[in-house]
Amino acid sequence: MPPIIDDTKCVQCGLCVDVCAEDVYYDSKPGETPVVTYPDVCFHCNCCVKECPSQAIRLRIPLPLTLLYKEGNRDIV
Amino acid sequence: MKEEMIKTDVLCIGGGIAGLMAAIRASELGANVVVAEKGNARYSGRGRAGNDHFWCYIPEVHGPDMGSFMKECLKGPKLRIMQAGTSMKVMRTFMERSFEIVKLWDSWGIPMKHDGRWEFAGHSFPGDVLTHLKYQGRDQKRVLTEKALEKGVKIINRVMVSDLLRDGDRIIGAVGVHAREDKVVVFQAGSTIVATGIADRLYPSPVPGWMASTPNCLTLTGDGRTMAYRAGGMIVGPESPKRHMGPRYFGRFGQATWIGVLRDPHDKPVGPYVTKPNRTYGDMTMEVKSGILEDYLKSGRGPVYMDCRGITPEDYDYMMSAFVDEGLSSLIDYMKEEGIDLRKNPVEFGTYHINPEGKVWINEKAETSLKGLYAAGDESIVSIGPAATYGWIAGENAAAAAKNGPAVDVEKARAEIEEKKNVVREIASRKEGADWREANVALQQIMQDYAGLVRSETLLTAGLDYVRRLRDKARRSLKARNRWELTRSLETLNLLDLGELVFMAANERKETRALHTRSDYPLTDPMLDGKALYVWKENGVPTFEWRKTE
Repeated sequence: MPPIIDDTKCVQCGLCVDVCAEDVYYDSKPGETPVVTYPDVCFHCNCCVKECPSQAIRLRIPLPLTLLYKEGNRDIV
Repeated sequence: MKEEMIKTDVLCIGGGIAGLMAAIRASELGANVVVAEKGNARYSGRGRAGNDHFWCYIPEVHGPDMGSFMKECLKGPKLRIMQAGTSMKVMRTFMERSFEIVKLWDSWGIPMKHDGRWEFAGHSFPGDVLTHLKYQGRDQKRVLTEKALEKGVKIINRVMVSDLLRDGDRIIGAVGVHAREDKVVVFQAGSTIVATGIADRLYPSPVPGWMASTPNCLTLTGDGRTMAYRAGGMIVGPESPKRHMGPRYFGRFGQATWIGVLRDPHDKPVGPYVTKPNRTYGDMTMEVKSGILEDYLKSGRGPVYMDCRGITPEDYDYMMSAFVDEGLSSLIDYMKEEGIDLRKNPVEFGTYHINPEGKVWINEKAETSLKGLYAAGDESIVSIGPAATYGWIAGENAAAAAKNGPAVDVEKARAEIEEKKNVVREIASRKEGADWREANVALQQIMQDYAGLVRSETLLTAGLDYVRRLRDKARRSLKARNRWELTRSLETLNLLDLGELVFMAANERKETRALHTRSDYPLTDPMLDGKALYVWKENGVPTFEWRKTE
């Protein structure tokens, strides 16, 4: 579920917790690796990803939000 | 329950583009200003991750005839629907001042020029006047937030303002809840500006069972317009639906940023405007009729793809950079992970869900129909250019009024404050009951089925009864286990009020127009051309009036 924090990179600065509009990281404790309390309201804006000083966050886009595309092996007719 | 009291000259409810612009200007003019923001102003609102199109009038580009330019702008159905109910005077005032705002943003560090010149692209038809300035808004919220702080604005994050406070016919402040701590916050203000943005979460998102597939931020629930309506303010056009469009199923804004052609499965262009990727025009087909993408799907002729194949390398780089400016960096990351290359892979586009258009009515000074209350941004006139400009105008007038107006005393609204605290207490202390999501989903399905794509008196009347019953039940049974759920619950109560408004207004509009389709009134009534439906509460009773929008 989005977002995913890499524990080995997280410096526990709390910036991601600060910036999230939906407060996905609600109830995170200062000085600890944030908890993703409400992953399914994450709207994938990338604000926490951008804000993280150690690039510790990535978003896993959930399956229902899969982008639908066509295989592109041929040129336009 | 703890109560915090904050007294100020100007209160901005909402820290988005409009709210921050209002705060900056009011503070510059000497007012004490507080911004109350539900999330974090640094990253809030529809502009949170950036934008790349700014509707504006630049005389040196568009020529001296602003009136002609305005008429040309409003030709496009999308802009026309978006601005339905906005008076021509308000539109003109926006246009007159838009270049001033463009230059201001550029001077503050939001790059408004491309290669040193004013570049216009997107939202315009081939061969027609170009209406939107292409700019680099990826850091706009950072710039505006820092500017506001520099000017001495006090930004209070994580506070959801839920009701305006009145003394007679004047708005004297507002009351809200802290979204994390157990306290209620009361604001006293000489002037209040609502700038809470667009209203989403009223209809089911395009992906069943996944609310967050919307291109809008989930906390944009039209709080300002329902607060204003409850306080007796005038709302315009809540019955008019609009539907956005973009990639499926990953709901995003920025359709005008894609440089490609909408094609059917046989690579035939769906519309008449472009046959190969064009960086100035995109493909306007979907702005002419957002439902065309859904029509193709439902009739079996689909899917419809946004096809960027054939894009030049320069235009591809330009588009990818513009995606970041428009706030689509998560889409870029995702496509990279999945191996989706827009130069090779056409991506499916679809029509999104309904957002009600309804705005808080404003005049050309951003004044609402209530003394002491202003409105700006998506709240009252949609799109970034107008949001920034009217935020500025609201700030100017709110500051002047707070300085010269009567002193206010928020204790005059003590009864309302205590009532609000009781509502909060009840929701927070219930052991059993419905959670916010139950109530929100229940509302969404009623809206979709009874005030959806095809409406009629029988459906609207039934739906109105259902939504009132639901609201009544929600008021008596919503429970929240923490502040987060409490905030979502208060948002849902606002949405229930908005739903009721949509039903009543949709029933009043006895014709078919734009996306409001009445099976019982299939014609578009020429007598209603140039008019909008105004709604307000007169002594607590919803009152409707058709007025010209001039």
